[in-house]
Amino acid sequence: MNLTVNGNNVTLDVDPQMPLLWVLRDSMNLTGTKFGCGVAACGACTVHKDGQPVRSCVTPVSSVAGAKIKTIESLGTPEKPHPLQLAWIAEQVPQCGYCQSGMLMAAAALLERKPKPTDADIDEVMTNLCRCGTYQRVRAAIHRAAGAQA
Amino acid sequence: MKRRNLILSGLGITGALVVGWGVMPERSRLGKPGNMLLTEGDIALNGWIKITKDGGVVLAMHRSDMGQGIHNALSMLVAEELDVPLSQIRLEQAVHDSIYGNVAMFVGTLPFHPLQSEGGDKPFVVHSGEWIVGKVARELGVNATGGSSSVKDAWLHLRLAAATAKASLLLAAADQWKVPLQEIKVKEGLLSHAAGKSAHFGEFAKGAAAQTPKNVVPKDRKDWTLIGKPTARADLLPKINGSAVFGIDVRLPNMLFASVVQVPQMGGTLSSMDATEALAMPGVVKCVQLVSASGSAPGFAVVAKSTWHAKQAADKVKTKWLQRAEGAIETKRIEADLKEKLKTEKGFSFYEKGDAAKAEGSAVRIIEAQYTAPYLAHATMEPMNCTAQFKDGVLEIWAPTQVPGLARAAAAKIANLSDDKVKLNVTLLGGGFGRRLEADVVVQVTQIAMALDGAPVQLVWMREEDMTHDFYRPMQVAQLSAAINAKGEVESLRIKSAGDAVSPRWMSRVLPALSGPFDAPDKTTAEGLFDLPYGFANQHMAHVSTRMGVPVGFWRSVGHSHNAFFSECFIDELALESKQDPVAFRLTLLKNAPRYAAVLKLAADKAKWAAALPAGHAHGVALHKSFGSIVAQVAEVSIQDGKPRVHRVVCAIDCGTVVNPGTVAQQVESSVSFALTAALFGQIDIQDGVVQQTNFTNYPLVSMAQSPLVETWIVPSTQTPEGVGEPAVPPLAPAVANAMFKLTGKRLRSLPLAA
Repeated sequence: MNLTVNGNNVTLDVDPQMPLLWVLRDSMNLTGTKFGCGVAACGACTVHKDGQPVRSCVTPVSSVAGAKIKTIESLGTPEKPHPLQLAWIAEQVPQCGYCQSGMLMAAAALLERKPKPTDADIDEVMTNLCRCGTYQRVRAAIHRAAGAQA
Repeated sequence: MKRRNLILSGLGITGALVVGWGVMPERSRLGKPGNMLLTEGDIALNGWIKITKDGGVVLAMHRSDMGQGIHNALSMLVAEELDVPLSQIRLEQAVHDSIYGNVAMFVGTLPFHPLQSEGGDKPFVVHSGEWIVGKVARELGVNATGGSSSVKDAWLHLRLAAATAKASLLLAAADQWKVPLQEIKVKEGLLSHAAGKSAHFGEFAKGAAAQTPKNVVPKDRKDWTLIGKPTARADLLPKINGSAVFGIDVRLPNMLFASVVQVPQMGGTLSSMDATEALAMPGVVKCVQLVSASGSAPGFAVVAKSTWHAKQAADKVKTKWLQRAEGAIETKRIEADLKEKLKTEKGFSFYEKGDAAKAEGSAVRIIEAQYTAPYLAHATMEPMNCTAQFKDGVLEIWAPTQVPGLARAAAAKIANLSDDKVKLNVTLLGGGFGRRLEADVVVQVTQIAMALDGAPVQLVWMREEDMTHDFYRPMQVAQLSAAINAKGEVESLRIKSAGDAVSPRWMSRVLPALSGPFDAPDKTTAEGLFDLPYGFANQHMAHVSTRMGVPVGFWRSVGHSHNAFFSECFIDELALESKQDPVAFRLTLLKNAPRYAAVLKLAADKAKWAAALPAGHAHGVALHKSFGSIVAQVAEVSIQDGKPRVHRVVCAIDCGTVVNPGTVAQQVESSVSFALTAALFGQIDIQDGVVQQTNFTNYPLVSMAQSPLVETWIVPSTQTPEGVGEPAVPPLAPAVANAMFKLTGKRLRSLPLAA
């Protein structure tokens, strides 16, 4: 099966039913995308499929053949971090950090669609779960990045 | 048995253990250079600090970071004393040695009343109790990250280790440069002399190792440039680009993956299994039956080429499970049993003041209430996992653990290896909250690794296994009563609670050497009930310790997590009965507890307690001390669609000297969120032995849209640093419940709260 992950074309011999999450993590060693619940409830596994956020734990790999997959590993580069990554540091968002890949990918997709999201927009889209209670800083960082992008 | 007798008999037991052990003062916890790993070009100056060739500083990191920012906080202590930029400090996992043990955590388990154990003027029994437990804890050297104790524990010796290292470097520079010591300055990791000489630490490391500086003391607080200043965490970059390595992210060449299935019936056993179909599935390597050890549940694991393949195959294994011989566990029955025990058993008396019985005898009326709290799961975002490889007689483990030494010992025992044949690497922890004080997953992956031919294997629990095989916060019930005199004043307060004790169960799992046939009274059962600051003339607080068969564990803020709900809601009931404002009522009872009063006033002021709120909104307040820190919270709540909605939580905290105010705010926000999830939704039910909640779908966490705005106000203090990771958890539920009473007129006495 052919996949495009973070701009690289890869050919994998995998079960078509295998969720994208486990292909990324266990077959490709891209461990930035996290396993949290396995039932699309927590969002820790959020990646982009052609720019749209998807929960990779319930996404069969066969359904993304030919699509462009983007994971946290290519959200920004050390030289050119994503505005959200800069905002995340400025607001000191992460604590344990486990849910943050998914948070960032969900937020990045939101900003693509709505460069100036309202609090209501954020509440609607950012359904990722965090056990460390980083929510208010996530919100502040999204607003900060939205401001920086203007 | 009276409390004092208990402590003295405790001292007798510990005293016997202590015979022959040397006194180990703070200074002896500096360790020796040999404690640190030998690394090419680096020179260790003691058990904590190593200087690299290019002048960098390596810190032996003995504590686990599960989000609380301890790696950063401890680095700040070292950076402060060494006068190096925070970014110049690199971390290296500390080896297994008693200098890295956690003394403060064990001292914190002593059942002393805070008004008795606070400050310098401690009664003999408190002083000697703290001394002897501290001494035993030092000898034990249990390296644990828990009890909100890490900064408090490291505060003296870590700063002393860094100050001593700096003094050695200065002496070495004075020798090499042949200039007077006092003329050398240290700034930003550079030593310099007015004559134009300047060099980094690396130039003097070798010379420093030969120095023995005398009379070193850490900096005076007026000279601090880092401690106490809001400081950006140095550990965040890997957490925003996907490169941080949690336990679940360990990747090794030719690694295999395992998925576990554990007995669904709590306390039950695996009677028989047939893995024929599973073993025939693609990518499957092996099926390993798992025995119970260190508290782990029995079951089996399937090993395959990916976690998904392992899980698919595990689902195909045919099993026959057996209920435990004593009959199936039911939470409904446990609740009824606990309520019955409150009536029939006296319990252990943790605190007595005045004569509560006499006050009750002459009371005009008695106000009584019964409160309950359910079992709770930890639900760390990173599910339970561990990685291991057994090769050439050595077992290497990669674990997201709060107890590396105990986990290593548990692995060595099940593998039948000596401790020195087990190497344990601590990864980052995707949340801990007490769940990772256990060794169950470590002994499971050890059994799997031992059954393989040298291949590394990673065991990942599915969320369903995680939720249904936790060590749960125990269910507790409490009966509270107050005697009201003719003047309408509260003359006495009596509290009796019942539920399982966590500490003895935990000890039996991971510290079996200290676990006996009888449970000693456990402070965690009564903390937050027996140690109230309020000046009621007559008080009696007792706890009935039970063993209901549900595995129970330390859950962020432990006994305080439910006891603050019981006590602070009841105090609100008493304020109402006394026709007083809840803040004013508390303040009249805090005349001898000025630190508490100051915290309460700060929260009330910042929240504008008395000011008008939008229609349909109400304030609720709670005050609670735990892990050495006093926290007051004012919650602004409304009822929307019949459910509580918490809009804002104003939190004041007195946690003594603060290392990083930024981290304190983070931990307060984290605690409020964690506690709000429990207050609104948290409940584990067990039916026919099976835990009913399985995932975030039926054990929900608060979401972004349900989250309040949290404000943190820190009371300036020069007292010793106290806990930060947990103390903001306990007041949240009572603050919310007290606000809900104002809105609905209905007193909620059980968790989770439902309008």
